[in-house]
Amino acid sequence: MTALAYRSYNFLTKRQSGLLVVIGLLVLLFLFGAFISDRFSSASNLLNVFEQSTGLALVSLGQTMTVLTAGIDLSVGSMISLLSVLLSGTIDGEASRVLPVCLGILVLGAAIGSLNGLTVIWLKVHPLIVTLGMGALLQGVTLLYTLGPAGSVPFEFDFVAYGRVAGLPVGAVFTIVLFILVALFLRYVPFGRFIYAVGDDETGARLMGLPRRRVLVFVYAFSGFCCALTAIYLVGRFGVGNVYTGQNYTLASITPVVVGGTLLTGGRGGVIGTLFGVYLISLLNNLLNFMDISTHYQLIIQGLIIILAVSVYVEKKRAV
Amino acid sequence: MQQAVNADMSTVNEKSRVLKQIGARYGIHLALVALILVSGIVSPAFLSGNNISNMLLQAAPLGIVVIGQAFVILVRGLDLSVASIMATAAVVATAFNGQPGDVVPIILIALAIGLGTGLVNGLLVTKRDVSPFLATLATMIVLQGFRFAYTQGAPSGNVPHFFRIIGAETFYGLPYNVVILAVLAAVFSIVLHKSAFGRQVYITGGNPRVARLVGMNADRVTMICYVISGGLAAIAGLVLSGFVGIVDNWVGRGFELDSIVAAVMGGIALSGGRGSILGGLVGAAILIVVFNAVLLFGMPVQFQIIIKGIVIVIAAAFYVKRGA
Repeated sequence: MTALAYRSYNFLTKRQSGLLVVIGLLVLLFLFGAFISDRFSSASNLLNVFEQSTGLALVSLGQTMTVLTAGIDLSVGSMISLLSVLLSGTIDGEASRVLPVCLGILVLGAAIGSLNGLTVIWLKVHPLIVTLGMGALLQGVTLLYTLGPAGSVPFEFDFVAYGRVAGLPVGAVFTIVLFILVALFLRYVPFGRFIYAVGDDETGARLMGLPRRRVLVFVYAFSGFCCALTAIYLVGRFGVGNVYTGQNYTLASITPVVVGGTLLTGGRGGVIGTLFGVYLISLLNNLLNFMDISTHYQLIIQGLIIILAVSVYVEKKRAV
Repeated sequence: MQQAVNADMSTVNEKSRVLKQIGARYGIHLALVALILVSGIVSPAFLSGNNISNMLLQAAPLGIVVIGQAFVILVRGLDLSVASIMATAAVVATAFNGQPGDVVPIILIALAIGLGTGLVNGLLVTKRDVSPFLATLATMIVLQGFRFAYTQGAPSGNVPHFFRIIGAETFYGLPYNVVILAVLAAVFSIVLHKSAFGRQVYITGGNPRVARLVGMNADRVTMICYVISGGLAAIAGLVLSGFVGIVDNWVGRGFELDSIVAAVMGGIALSGGRGSILGGLVGAAILIVVFNAVLLFGMPVQFQIIIKGIVIVIAAAFYVKRGA
């Protein structure tokens, strides 16, 4: 039992020295919240926060992978918007179309994402510019497809967002499982290790003969895939896809990655940190709501958290 | 005989080399001229005095931001906070409800906000080693929070008439804001290309190690670049508030990315140390011309963003090839 605990502790902290900081902050925040308000620490409120963090968690999962390779994906917002309008527009209320369309959206997301990766490789342009351009292009296509909410989904589709099995929100549990699978993949599968290698020292990775191109295509395709999952969740939550559904996620998806201890310079960090980063931000916003602090100040606090987080982690890398 | 052929070959090579150099150095300028000519031929309305005056009016605020962005990118940075500074300056412009006597305090407060934000950006980047993307992202969000808290989400009030004049009116077809842009561009071009500080900017961006080894205070140079960018963004915000006339919380939205795009298109390398202010302004002009042409050609407005997205990537690729 202790061996297991030790191993899981090792697993959690390896490559992620900042992880304990995030978990510590999360615990402190929870205790502080519980002290301030009884309803904050109630199971139903916590489950709600858990449930609502799903969208941000899914985008940030893909974002973490691109950041690990020292890249970034700024097309996620537009991608989510496009996929969500295509999803509800194509299903258009027909229950029989739900499954094939969802699968199609997942494939499309991965395809657009891999186009990002291929462009980065072919044109040798910085991912920031490539995904920025792709984001503009996708937003334009979205607005060509529709200028407002498109189509509809069957009523039961909200199961992906609001469904509960044994009292637990389905989407959020699915998200945790996905995070753990990706964490295991990054740690135990050679290809997962390559992702760190490419981000840590690109030239070194190339000299070692690691498949740098395949790694890049994979991470951007995976980010696109995660956008598709987010789009499905958001359509379930709102009942319809809209042209600006994903807009705020572009920059919002980067905050949890950074707060979770993944460095923008690549090669360091991991998805578990991101997951806790998502919970930290979701819980913080929830607590600020309980404290009746307006959303305007929530922005200020979010910005300060980014500054604090990046300042702390920079020191960590230097110490290594 | 053989020699003659060789000589012939070498002049051909020489010619193609010169052509290549011209293409590399002036490619973006030629692209702008070609774009203007094609647009003029396809749609004669494009070259009407009215339309040109209109485009200049739109180009000026973007151009002012691009000058600052150029400084930051030259030292290997990036400034995402410019749009937030612009919007905050615009909110300040309406804060006193449009009295003519308030013009000077408005300018001072807006400048203070811009310069202060730039200073914070610079400090985070140099003293805390925060990546420019995150540092300016964070100040962008914080500033946005202060702005929302101040306006409670719904800004109101009028812009003083003075800003309406400099932002939206023309002097026999020449917009006043273009005059402001021209003056700023001239001043900062001289600073960048003729002063010792300008050389330091290029060295800091081109090779920070060398900068340190020759005993330069690279941190100070970097910091000043962010401060310049913040100050210029504040000026651009005031000019834009005069152009729009009314103010909401999002005046200047999209300028952070458009200004980076214009700079990159104009040949200012994101890897630092290469590029000029004139190049950045040409990049800004191309963006504005493309936006305008899309509408004059009768294409749906959505094509503005689609074409913008494609142009960004192609332009960036052009410079990568050149650098390699």
